[in-house]
Formats: sequence, structure tokens, C-alpha cells
Amino acid sequence: MQEPKKTTPSRGLQFAVFTMFGAALSAAQQPAVAILQKQCGSCHGASQMSGFDVRERDALLRGGKRGAAVTPGKPADSLLLRAIKRDGDLKMPPGKSALTSKEVALIEAWIGVGAPWDSTAAKTESTWWSFQTPKLPAVPLPRNMKWVRNPIDQFVMAKLEDKGLKPVANASKLSLARRVYFDLHGLPPTPREVEAFVNDTSPDAYKNLLDKLLASPRYGERWGRNWLDVVRYADTGGYETDVLYSNAWRYRDYVIRSFNEDKPYTEFVKEQIAADEIWPDNLDLNGGYELPKDKLANLNRRLGTGLYTVGPMAVEYTFFGDQYRAEWQAEAVETTSSAFLGLTMGCARCHDHKFDPLSQRDYYRMAAVFAGSEDREIPIVSQMGVFEYTRYQTRLVIADQIKERLMAIDGRKGAKRAATPASKDERETLLRQLGDAYLKAPVMFPKASVLAHSEMVPDSHVLLRGEFKQKGEQVSPGFPGALGVTAKITEPHRRKALAEWLTSPQHPLLARVMVNRIWQGHFGRGIVATSNDFGRQGDAPTHPELLDWLASEFAAQGYSIKALHRLMMLSNTYQMSSEPNQANSMVDADNRFLWRMNRRRLQAEELRDSVLASSGALNMKMTGPPVAVPLSEEEKAGMRDPTQWPVHPDVAEHNRRSVYLYVKRSFRLPMFEAFDQPDAVASCARRESSTVAPQALTLMNSDFMLKQAAQLAERLRKDNSNDPAKLIEAGSRIAFGRAPKVDEAKRAAAFLERNDLAALCLLWFNTNEYLYVD
Amino acid sequence: MSIDLDRRNFLSRSGLGFGSLAASYLLNAAEVTNPLAARKPMLPATAKNIIFLFMHGGPSHLETFDPKPLLERLNGQPVPDSFGDVQLQFSTFKSVPILASRRKFKKYGQAGIEVSDVFPHVAAHADKLAVIRSCQHDGFTHTAALNWLNNGWPRLGRPSVGSWVTYGLGSESENLPAFVVMLDGGIKSGPPVYGSGFLPAAYQGTVLRNGPAPILNVQPPAARGSANQKDFRELLQWRNQQHLAARGDDTDLAARMASYELAFKMQMAAPELADIAKESDATRKLYGMDETGTAAFGGKCLLARRLVERGVRFVQLWSGSTTGGGDWDGHAQCDKGIVTMAGKVDKPIAGLLADLKSRGLLDSTLVVWGGEFGRTPTSDGSANGGGDSQGRDHNPYGFTIWMAGGGVRGGQVIGSTDEIGLRAVQDPLHVHDLHATMLSLMGLDHEKLTYHFQGRDFRLTDVAGKTDLAARLRT
Repeated sequence: MQEPKKTTPSRGLQFAVFTMFGAALSAAQQPAVAILQKQCGSCHGASQMSGFDVRERDALLRGGKRGAAVTPGKPADSLLLRAIKRDGDLKMPPGKSALTSKEVALIEAWIGVGAPWDSTAAKTESTWWSFQTPKLPAVPLPRNMKWVRNPIDQFVMAKLEDKGLKPVANASKLSLARRVYFDLHGLPPTPREVEAFVNDTSPDAYKNLLDKLLASPRYGERWGRNWLDVVRYADTGGYETDVLYSNAWRYRDYVIRSFNEDKPYTEFVKEQIAADEIWPDNLDLNGGYELPKDKLANLNRRLGTGLYTVGPMAVEYTFFGDQYRAEWQAEAVETTSSAFLGLTMGCARCHDHKFDPLSQRDYYRMAAVFAGSEDREIPIVSQMGVFEYTRYQTRLVIADQIKERLMAIDGRKGAKRAATPASKDERETLLRQLGDAYLKAPVMFPKASVLAHSEMVPDSHVLLRGEFKQKGEQVSPGFPGALGVTAKITEPHRRKALAEWLTSPQHPLLARVMVNRIWQGHFGRGIVATSNDFGRQGDAPTHPELLDWLASEFAAQGYSIKALHRLMMLSNTYQMSSEPNQANSMVDADNRFLWRMNRRRLQAEELRDSVLASSGALNMKMTGPPVAVPLSEEEKAGMRDPTQWPVHPDVAEHNRRSVYLYVKRSFRLPMFEAFDQPDAVASCARRESSTVAPQALTLMNSDFMLKQAAQLAERLRKDNSNDPAKLIEAGSRIAFGRAPKVDEAKRAAAFLERNDLAALCLLWFNTNEYLYVD
Repeated sequence: MSIDLDRRNFLSRSGLGFGSLAASYLLNAAEVTNPLAARKPMLPATAKNIIFLFMHGGPSHLETFDPKPLLERLNGQPVPDSFGDVQLQFSTFKSVPILASRRKFKKYGQAGIEVSDVFPHVAAHADKLAVIRSCQHDGFTHTAALNWLNNGWPRLGRPSVGSWVTYGLGSESENLPAFVVMLDGGIKSGPPVYGSGFLPAAYQGTVLRNGPAPILNVQPPAARGSANQKDFRELLQWRNQQHLAARGDDTDLAARMASYELAFKMQMAAPELADIAKESDATRKLYGMDETGTAAFGGKCLLARRLVERGVRFVQLWSGSTTGGGDWDGHAQCDKGIVTMAGKVDKPIAGLLADLKSRGLLDSTLVVWGGEFGRTPTSDGSANGGGDSQGRDHNPYGFTIWMAGGGVRGGQVIGSTDEIGLRAVQDPLHVHDLHATMLSLMGLDHEKLTYHFQGRDFRLTDVAGKTDLAARLRT
């Protein structure tokens, strides 16, 4: 397109505007209006700087304090055009680079043709595919039905045939065994487990294996961890204070338990958002000492609301109640929209979303849903259990008194300890008494951090540019209208309405977003690759009908996540090998249409857990407070205060599964950081899988790896005496699930002539065969 | 420009058919998939590397580079109403008295830049410095301010400046990390200030320490001799080649093999980097390594020069720690603290500037000095420590940083604060502008250096940032 030289648009350009978009003016306006809203909307949108607003045609023509901005048909007379051309006093947008000449030309042409504005624009936006309730699509009939094992394959094969792609052969049983163990448990199969599956020739062998793995508690640990990524779980608040959330782990355990129980997803969602409003737990004790079953069940549901008590929070930065609440509500809105809606609402905190029909008002209506709620620590025992603690609190009073005496002797905090012999004796006596007092002190009754209603429900407002002091229009709680579904709020149960809105069968996003997450967990990439963004900025689905079919099937199966796993894993699509194919690569190098399985690197936690499993050191203990593992001095680099890393005194605890390790927001475990563990600041849609030299250094030289290599060597020797051939075979079976090939065994034996077995074990841990799942 | 990190995109877009690719992909895989491969700047650049000297805690501009004689006259009095009110972390601005500086200022260099007596050695290089007295942001707590200066945003989750720069330009060093951090101990906000946020892990800062094993895990365990090292490397790569041969086209696997080669190279390069035995006595002396007070920071400054010499893109040096040794956070006895902390870094920084200059490295190396904020003109009162603490609270509303080298013309003072040093008044430079300027000097357009995350193209400078200053600094 030629750039016009004069202020009146050339005929050529006017023509271009029409021919590009045909007669449909509603489309013709779009580029110009989109440019205006993108470039000017942040100041002249909801915040109406200088009284000017570009969101509606009338307001745009009317202009702001400086008078009319646009005269339809007369670009040269339009202040707007002069401002964006920076031709005169007013130069827009300020502090940013000027609009490109192409953008200016489009706007000029648009004014020239009368600044057409389609009042249905807002409505057309909500015709976006993911905002429509999924409809059960017809299952296609591909030519190659022999390949098909279930409807998923029909969708995939139809697409492959359409693109001229051919599926590769199926994976070997060994590959498949490793794949399903890692996918469902995040752990490698033991040599015996591989053998059992490979030798089981019954037609149901594979299905039975899936059932066995899904029934194991290891499943919840693996898939619970995936969910914890989505909800940015951590045990501390981050920032300078990085406060410890001492009960956060109860939410973590709740998540693991929920996956293991195959809790229907809709129930899982309802519990996390509004268990306290839907299933009240202030039930009577009914004459008992212990909590009655129904009350306990409801309490357990309420642990789900812990989701909103474990987010990042700069407590030292919030000196105003309003500010604290605004930050907390914003965090709640953003986590809710990313995790459950698969939409990024963060943008709408400061201005209307530029790409999706989510307004700033929508954002603050959603924030208002959380107004009047706050996190609270509640006992999860009966009142009698609480009294057990309080009756012995006198011992803590004694401990405090002794501490005061000690501090008096030691002088003020930070001063040197007094050194006279008399005070030394007294000090020692006091220390003994202090220890004694603490040992006899009552054990704190179990507590949980959950959501509760605050005493007062503050008014909610749109906050201009997201600033808590800039209160705009007052808003009532509500949900984005563009999604079509509505829910009625019965005060004070605002979150209950949110939960009902989300889980309404007509909701267009909830099921799609979750089936897509499960799909991503099995195939490496979602049907929508941007699994937290189903909006316009996200990727289009590769198999839209399959996505909708899965969403409908999910609902039909009572939102059972385990049923989804079975469905996906029993498909032939899942059972393909990951082998290369030149012809397919020419057409679809990224394997977007699934002509093979995607190979993947182990995630940080899987890697650590696998190494522990291989060495035999893995401690399978479940649940409980987070465990801080020992760190070398070098590894602690940059940590604000090393006493905030309370290493567990029991070494057996250091070998727990990674999901139970301490997640400190201001300090990630160096090994996990190197292997792309997310930072737990915002919802993580999909982990990075980077390849950098520090990963190699970690695996070759870190204390942890050296220790586990030595441990595996010891394990092998114990079982196989000292025969190198036997050691090599046994080690290979543990690490790779197979016997070594002849030349592998030969080279390993040669290596062992000059090096110790631990070095060979370390080497195995460093191979690509160990680190990747085919 | 969003830097394309997707190897598959690269492969499919390069127009090469799979066949011709197959033969060469092993060769190219490392190059194609190396996220740290050197990239050309987008714009004409005057700096190739950055050394960011970070004075942790918030150094007082009023005791260093921004003299305010009015404070002496108003000492002990409440702040005149004409200066309005500001939000502070510990003290209530309107209820604490003005605190005069005890430092003596002198004019240095041809330009006559005023510097206090705590920085006599740095002051001798006044004609190399562009002192910016009008920096500002709104984060009055350490973490918010540390995040502002280092990540361009007061909250967690954003990549650090060093990450953005290495994301934009890659590295010229083949066997050292691209972005290196030297710490003085703990940081109030912890490691996220040199983390890569939502950028891939390849761009995070690597902590470097003094000594023979400067990088975490770079030293093979002592038990593993050199024979073992060779055997290990050979057998590992043989295994990986066998594995790859059966899997044909996977550049991920090839890239991991390349990453091991790089790791082996780093194991050799790191001790060489840290071995300063070959540096002359005169050089060590220049950095103050012969005196106990300055030896520690001097050693870091010397390493910084050695890193830049070897093509490392971004080096950040920290002075001040939460785990012993003190910091620049002058709540109590601000004057005493400044004298102590400046005493540790003055000679080393001067040595660094002189050494870079004499080796011809200063022209291409941008040196930036600063902290997370400055200090208030008022006393901290009894807010933080009891009694009259003779300290100053945090002041993000007006503070000083300086730049040298990297095409920056020295001998100039830019901007000013008001008469009591509270707010930037003339040529205020927001942190976004500072970052836009640093990127601009490195040849990066801050509006085009983007990364798509959470439905949005993110920038170091968010939706702001001006680069007007870059031109002024260069002329």
C-alpha cells in the first residue's frame, strides 16, 4: 500500500479501505478503531484523560476539553489526525513513539469515509469461539478406521489425512511403560514393573496397567503438582518479609487428596472458591468429643479455599487497609481467571482488555466477589481439642518469663553476652529451665488457613489505573457478560455465585480449559497451546472439534479427571512412538497434528524424584508440613536470611518426594530453578523446558547428585556382589528399564576398569536416555 | 522484536528441506538452539557490556553526590510546608526534623562536579562520570525499590535488567555465563532481583564467587581425577550419540549434548577466570586488594574487568548484605554507615574505571553506579531503632546514580532535586527512563524488546520509558 503524501487521503487508499474489507463497513472500521483503541485507549479509555474517550463513536467525535476530535469525512479538519501526526501543539501519544505512517494513513482514510462505527462491534466480539458453549460435534469418519481405537483417534486421523500426514508406528512396550509411569506418577517404573508389563500378553494388559497406576497415591502427587503450578502454590509470601504460610501445606495435601479421590472437577472448583458458603462447617458436635463425620467432611472441603491464602503478598508494601485488600483481591481475580477461565484478566486491572471483551468494570466486579472475604486460621479439631492446648498454656508463660530473664543477662538484642562466671551459671540454669518448659509446652492444635467472611463488607470501586487511592465508579459483584452465562448472587454468598457461574453446564470455558490442561499433560502441548489464554491473543486450537468433544465427554463422565486420563491414554494417538519421519516433518515439523508422540524432558521434580527412586533412597511418606532440604553455603547465595530455611533435623525427610519440599517464593531450590520450576508468582500455564549448561553442571557435580550416585552404587553392590557385568546389567535395568546392549556393556566395563561404580551411576543419570521420555 | 527462541520455527522458516537439514543439523543444532548466541543490536550501540555497581540498602545521595547546603541551615527544624508531604516507610515525614549532612563536598575535574569526601578516589575520575541527580520511582520499601531498579516493576515475577539485555543481545563469551552476579551476602528481596522472571532460565544471572570454584557446581568433585573426567566425557557423549542416532531429528537432544560440551568448557574456563595470579601487583594495588578494607570489593571489581574482557555481557556487583558486613541502609547513624560502606568500595571502583580506561575497555563498557533509592533529608527520628538515630529513611522520590563509559560523555551533571534533596525537580528520570536509556546505549529499542507472556507482550519498561537522555549522555 502506498503512503499518502497529502492530508486528504488518496483515492487509492480510500479504495483500498473498501476493497480490502469489501462493502462491510463494520469490518472496514476495525483496523482504524483497533489502532485508536490500542494507541490511545490506555489514557482515553475508562480513565478519560482530558475528558476524551475513544471507546464510543459519539464520545470520539465529541472530543474532550479541546473540542471536537473528529469531523467525519474531513480528515484535515480533525484534531485527532493532527495530534497523531504530531502536527501542531498537541502531539499524541505522549512519551511513546508516534504512530507509524501506515497507521496514520488508515485512520485518515477511515475519517475520510465518514468514520463508520458498527454499534454491534461489542457483540461481535463475544462471538469468539471460546465464548460459545461447546456443542457435541459429530465424530468424523476417517478412511483409515483400522488405526482407530477410540473417538479421539477419529478426530486425529481425520486431521492427519486432511494434511497428508501418516501416523508413525506404535511405541514399544518398554517405551510405553516408561511413558505411562512418568505421565501418571512422575516416577520411572522399577525393573520388575517393566518386566511384568512387557511379559503380560493379555489383551487388557495396558488397560490394567493404567487402572493400577491411576489407583496409586503416586498419581495424586504427580497431577497435584501440575495443579499447584496452575494456582501458583508456595509456602511463603515472597518479597522482603517473605512470611511463612505455616498451614499452606494443608491446601497442597488437599489438592493431592482430591486428585487421588478423583473428585469431580466441578466439585473441586466449587470447594476451592466457596466451600465455606456451600458446605457450612459450623455444625454442632452432636454430643461428641471428636468432630462428627459430616462436619469433618465439610472442613476438608473448606481446605480448598486455602487456594486464596497462599498467593504472593508484599505485606511490607501495604500500609493501608484499602491497599492490602486491593492487592489481595487483584491477586484472587487474576489467579481465578487464569486457572479456571483460561483468560488473562490482569490487563483489565488498569484498563479495558485490549483484545478480549473484558472491561475494567468486569475486573472490579469480579474483585467485588472477593470483597468481604478474608483469610483466616481456623482450628481443625473440636473446641475440646483447642482447650487441650489452652489449659497447658501456662507452661508457655513460664517459658516467656525465662526468656525475659535470659535477655536481661545477655543485654539488649545484639549486645555481647555477659561473661562473669556468676551470670554464666545462672544463664545455664535458665537455659535448662527454658528447654524443659518448651518440652512440656502443649502442642499447638492443628489449624488451617481458609477463606472466611470478614466482619464488614467494603464497597467496591473501579480503581483507575489499578491504584487503590483512585476510586472510580462503584461496582457490585458480577461476572464478565461476554461469556453469556449468568448467576444470581444471594448476599452474602458472593463466592458461591461465582462457583455456580463457573460450573454451570453452559459455561463455555471451564471444561474446555481443564480438558486442555490434561491433554497438555499427556501430549506436551494443549489442543490450545496457550493453556491459560483462550482469548484472542492465545493460539487457535489445532483440533477444535476434538476439544469440544472432550469437553462434552468430560461433562458426560461426571467431570471425572481419571476418566479423561483413561480416554486419552487408551487412544492410539497416545500410544504412538516418538520416532522421526522425514515426510511428515516436511509438512508439520512441530508435530501440531500429532503424527507421533512428543518426546519430553523430565520436569525438575520428576528428575529429582527419579534419581531418588533409582538410588533407592526415595522416602514415600505422604502429607505434612513442607521439608527444607540441606543446602551448601554456595547454594544459599543471595538468600536474605538463612534462618528462614529451616533444614529438617531428620535426614530421612530429605529424601521425600519433591512435591513435599519447602517452596519459598524469594528463594527457589537451585536444582529446581536450573530445571525451570516456575516462580510461583503467577499461574504457570506450561513449564519451560530449557537446555543450558548449568543443568549439566548440576547433574554432574552437585552434592545431591554425587550422593545419589554413590547410593545407587551401594545398592547395586549389595544385590550383585562385585561382578562388573552383573552390576552394569542391574544398573541399566534400574536407570533405563532394559538390559544393556553388547557395546554399551563393553564400554561400561572398560570405564569401570579405571573408574568407580559411583561415577558410572552418575553418568547414567546424565544421559539423554535418562532425562527424556520417548 | 520478540526474539525467536523456537528452534522449530527457525527450522521451518529457514526454508531448508529436511533432507539437507539432516546432514547438518547436528552441526547447527548448538547454534540454532543456543539461546545465548550473540545477536546484533537493533540500533547503533555505544556500549557492548554493562557493569552495574549496586549499593544495596539505598546509599544517601545527600552524603555523596548531591550537596544541599540548605539542610545545614534547617537542621533540627521541621520540613517547611512548601515541600509538601510524602509517604515514607518508617517515619512520618511531617513530624521528623531536617538532618544536616556532615560531609564536606568539593568540586572535581574540569567540569567541577561536586562529590563528597567519602568518595575521594572515584571523584578523581569526575571527568568520566555523568552524574544523574534526578532519579525517581515510587517504591519506598526495599523490595519494591529493588524490584524497580533491577526488574523495572515493583512486584515479583518480572525478568531482571541483565536478563533482558542477554535476551536481546546474547553473549560474546563461549564458555562463561552471559549474565554474572557477584554478591556481598544475602539480598533483602532474595535472588529474584537477578532472576529471569518469565524469560527462559537461560537468561538468569549466575552467581560468581571469589576462589577456584567461582560458579556453583563448576568444580568436579576432587575424587574425580582428570583421567576420569576424560572417560566420563567420552562415554557420556558416546551414549548420547547412540541414543540420538535412533531418534534422528531431535534438536533438543543434540542441544543437550552441546550444553554438556559447554559445561565441560566452563569447567576449564572458570578456574582460569578466577586465577588472578597473573595480574600484576600494580593492578591489584590499583583495586585496593592490598588493603583489608577494600580487598573484598576490589577482588570483585577486578573479576568484573576480567569478565568483560572475556565477552560476558552483563556483570552486576553488589555491595551491602543482609547476612553480615553491613549495608547502605542508613536508618541509624547514616553518616557513619556511609563512611564505612564507601570506604570499602571507593578505591576499587576508581581502580576499575582506571583499569578499564587503560585497557581500552571503558569505551565499550557502560558502568552504572547506584542503589535502590536515596535517603530522606529528614531524620529517621525514633521510628527505627529508638532515640535520635541520626539516620535517614528511604527516599525513592529523588536520588542519584552515575554512569561512565559505554559512549557516555563524562564530566556532566544531569537533573537536580529540590533544595532539600527530597524530590527530583529538574529533568526527572524515572526508572523506566533509566532502563530505556541503558538499553538504548546497548543498541536495544526498549519498545521492541518484548516477550509474550500471559496474553501480553511484556517489556522491561512496561508501557513507559523515554530515551531522550541517551542522546544527551552521548554528546
